[in-house]
Amino acid sequence: MFKRRPLQSKSEIWMRNIVMSILVIYMVIFLIVPVVMVLMGSLHQWNPLNGTYKWIGIENYTRMFSYPTFWQSMFNTVIFCIFVVFFRVILGLGIAYAVNSKMTRFKTFFRTVFYMPTVTPLVAVAYVWKIMYNPQFGLIDKIFGLDINWLYDSAFALPALMLMTVWKDFGYAVILFLSGLLSLPSDCYESASIDGANAWQTFRHITLPLLKPTMLFVVVTSIISYLQAYVPVLVMTKGGPGTSTYLSSYLVFDQAFKQYNFGYASAISLFILVLTAIFTVISFKAAGSKEN
Amino acid sequence: MKQRVLKITLFVILCLAGAATVLPFLWMLLSSFKTNAEIEALEQSFLPRHPTLENYINLQNNFDFLRYFANSILIALVVTILVIYTSCICGYVLGKYKFKGKNLIFGVVMMTMMVPWSVTIIPRYTMFVKAGLLDSYLSLILPFMFSGFGIFMMKQNMENVPNELLEAARLDGANEFQIFHKLVFPLCKNGISAIAIFQFLWVWEDYLWPYLMMDSEQKQLLAVGLTQFNGRYATDYGGLFAATTISILPVIIVYVIFQKRFIAGVAAGAVKG
Repeated sequence: MFKRRPLQSKSEIWMRNIVMSILVIYMVIFLIVPVVMVLMGSLHQWNPLNGTYKWIGIENYTRMFSYPTFWQSMFNTVIFCIFVVFFRVILGLGIAYAVNSKMTRFKTFFRTVFYMPTVTPLVAVAYVWKIMYNPQFGLIDKIFGLDINWLYDSAFALPALMLMTVWKDFGYAVILFLSGLLSLPSDCYESASIDGANAWQTFRHITLPLLKPTMLFVVVTSIISYLQAYVPVLVMTKGGPGTSTYLSSYLVFDQAFKQYNFGYASAISLFILVLTAIFTVISFKAAGSKEN
Repeated sequence: MKQRVLKITLFVILCLAGAATVLPFLWMLLSSFKTNAEIEALEQSFLPRHPTLENYINLQNNFDFLRYFANSILIALVVTILVIYTSCICGYVLGKYKFKGKNLIFGVVMMTMMVPWSVTIIPRYTMFVKAGLLDSYLSLILPFMFSGFGIFMMKQNMENVPNELLEAARLDGANEFQIFHKLVFPLCKNGISAIAIFQFLWVWEDYLWPYLMMDSEQKQLLAVGLTQFNGRYATDYGGLFAATTISILPVIIVYVIFQKRFIAGVAAGAVKG
């Protein structure tokens, strides 16, 4: 471990310098410069169509915080995140546990089926679901004998998007939890069964705590990706009815590339970045505190 | 007895969940063989009563879908191959070398994964418009040549390559470029397949960036093509079913064939999370 090669060869230095300088140039162009540009842009009135780029201080931010659609989109995003992450974790864990059980046959088959929606392109899937929610001939109403105009009823539109997203993404959680379950040490279970623990106790006190790293990974990656969700909104509702399905990332898309308010959209996108960071830190903190 | 009941209950639950997962795909596939009149009929049947290929034929006549399909495959392949290579070589340097500033660089790489698309896309759009790269495939490739996820995965992978192996090759007089290309690169099959799968999918389903960059219709990618089709023929449900089937079914077929690798790849990406 502590043995160090005394001399770095010339080719190693070359390799390091070439590869790292290309990587650094790439990151400067595609990450650092953009973040600086967004920061600056959020302080300007910025419209690329007519070439406006005028300093207005924090006006974009004050406008943002007094704009009801912004708060509506934040509220929707938080609701969307909480529900989808919750069901993704519950379904993912439950189904992974069932598939992993000694009693289950055709494990590979089930695994393959559950992961299928995850590998399909979201835009296409969203169109299929859009027709599935059709009140006249859509599959959902037909199967459950309902009469709901899902995407045009402000009470049901956001839940409809959440249901589609859960369906699309739960398989990813299943696979992650399955690989987590497979990597658990078997000796814990042996001693638990010797101690006479029942299935629920074993699950609650042994499996669950051991799966915490997987859980954390699923929760954090889910939150990060759902804060960025816009495709279902774009395809299925365009934010409507009213503003009931505006998600914050869709608001950025709308403000930036429909209205061309680049400065204003920059301010909103920075807010999403801050939110992402906060959620990530909270998740890690929550995982850490449960340990004690 | 109790065991048997439990076993059957489990099986039934899994089958129900499986059915719910597959049903939308099945419905889409079957409906793509129905006429519009049948799709919109009050009395629905799951199987098409008068199966027809009309939707597919009309689709291709009105809208060059196969072209979009080919474009998407081309761009996804190019980007995926580039990302595999850059991820491996960056992963090798970051995983195996010791040098000043390494942690800083790796930290920024990790940050690229956390920064939302909405933050970078506005400046990137401005830069690409200024650089005159609108409507050029370069604009779909350049921003995605490096992947934070890929570099992270390969760094983990590279750390598992034994140092003794590298030392032996160095003693034999191989230089670092040879070691990387001939020895290390082939050793990382698992990591590579995970990156390949994810990257391909990401390019395949990316909507916004190709929508912003590509102007000419015949250069457009599949995801954008779908929305254009829907914009123009919003009530042609049969056509939309055919279009979505064309963009989903091949992916499912490839997935079912390679499902083992897919799933191993996903799992590998998370274990060290």
